[in-house]
Amino acid sequence: MSLLSIRDLSLSFRGIHGVTEVLHGISLDIAPGEKVALVGESGSGKSVTARIVLGLLQELAAARIDGEVRFEGEDMRGFSRQQFAANRGTKISMIFQDPTSSLNPTFIIERQFAEVIRRRNPGASREDCVRIAGEALAKTAIPDVERVLASYPFQLSGGMNQRVMIAMALVNKPKLLIADEPGTALDVTVQAQTLQLMRQLTEEHQAAVFFISHNLGVVREFADRVYVIYRGRIVEDGPTEAIFADPRHAYTRALMAAVPRITGTGLPDIPERSDSFDAPQISHGGGS
Amino acid sequence: MTLLALKNVTKTFRVNQREVHAVRDVSFDVREGECLAIVGESGSGKTTLANMILGLLGATSGEIHFRNSALPARRPSELRRQIQFVQQNPLSALNAKRSVGASVRLGLDTYRIGERAARKAAVEAALEAVGLEPELARRPPGALSGGQRQRVGIARALAVEPSLVVLDEPTSALDVLVQARVLRLLNELRAAKKLTYVFITHDLAVVRNIADRCVVLKEGQIVEMGETTAIFDDPQHDYTRNLIRAVPVVDQTEVQLRDKLGRAND
Repeated sequence: MSLLSIRDLSLSFRGIHGVTEVLHGISLDIAPGEKVALVGESGSGKSVTARIVLGLLQELAAARIDGEVRFEGEDMRGFSRQQFAANRGTKISMIFQDPTSSLNPTFIIERQFAEVIRRRNPGASREDCVRIAGEALAKTAIPDVERVLASYPFQLSGGMNQRVMIAMALVNKPKLLIADEPGTALDVTVQAQTLQLMRQLTEEHQAAVFFISHNLGVVREFADRVYVIYRGRIVEDGPTEAIFADPRHAYTRALMAAVPRITGTGLPDIPERSDSFDAPQISHGGGS
Repeated sequence: MTLLALKNVTKTFRVNQREVHAVRDVSFDVREGECLAIVGESGSGKTTLANMILGLLGATSGEIHFRNSALPARRPSELRRQIQFVQQNPLSALNAKRSVGASVRLGLDTYRIGERAARKAAVEAALEAVGLEPELARRPPGALSGGQRQRVGIARALAVEPSLVVLDEPTSALDVLVQARVLRLLNELRAAKKLTYVFITHDLAVVRNIADRCVVLKEGQIVEMGETTAIFDDPQHDYTRNLIRAVPVVDQTEVQLRDKLGRAND
């Protein structure tokens, strides 16, 4: 059974210039423990899909959402604000692109950790929180746990904050971790370490990952399965090896060509638009 | 011919009564018409180096020569015009309250380029040169996409006809498709306008496809320097190898290259 199942999800925003269609009926599944990537360019609808799963867009009066989102078999359409809020940080957690700006600059790490731990365990004492946070941070190979807990985010490097974010996101043992372009705000070496750490810890916790990115190169070694999204439509999906071995949709091929190669194959000429990008979805199978 | 030469440049900051050596005894030449990449991790001194080339920071010691004469601490207007800058985040680099046309025009007015009456047309030509519709000149930067904004940043730098452009991570805030288009544009403009680039980045895959030569910085010091192809064929330093290996790869041939570097490292 799917942990997360999305069927025919559509989203539009009502604004002063009329209605903007953002998602045109997308469907995707994530099995328990599975790492699934949603890949597409800026504005393709990746991040809004994640926000709908977290229940964040449902609060917007201008957003119109149709379709079904099920988490652990439960239809989330009827969820109240409180039900969504209760899921966040406990069953579903999220890490963002820029760790330093996602953490609160006015509180030390220890206090931010305690807030997260108490979402699941409201009676946890300060000592409990420090112990649990310390254990979680130690797993991310942070050398000096006490110093990190006593620091403000701006006193730590980007790479260190990224580790803190990952540890915090996993401390309540969520079933699903949503990772929105983690580490792209950081340099390549830190990004590579982030991905490795995320893979190791989510496997340990048996958490599923919903991974959002614009870079197919980043996805290649991380995800079990890939969905490629273009202008609010899924254009290709399948197991990661199948997509990389045989990318069939013109848009997937463009996205792949755009990744600069360390072998120096030059800079490709990629059109802004092409009718072939709107071709119907190609599925390699392999879904749950 | 050498356009820019750094000679034993050092920059030391005092932070909380402690000395931080951001750049240590760095020397290299930038040849006219080439694209020279400066690569390294965050904190390796890349941006400090860029700021010194631009004259935004003074060097603690050492000299920077431009066209064979040392750049003075206070640069005359003509020298400032010749060395232009494209920043990483175009949204924060452009004034949100000005139209993008006004931002491009500011350089023309500052350096008194062309007749006043002709500057409107010059702004439109600068936008067209980077593939933007001239009508966009009236819009604020907030109304443009990330890729369009970075094109405005490039148009603004090139409008004043510089000979050297310092590009500080010009594509790392963009998605891969937009990055590919902007990199192509930069390459075309360099050839068409006979420009010289100093291209700062942490992404070795970008370097491989755009730079003629590169300088690898670690903790403010040069660890390796040479032709890009030579550095990728046979990196001499573990730090360089690790930077190349950290790049996310797509093709099987890239995996082979990475594995080869990995073995050399073990």
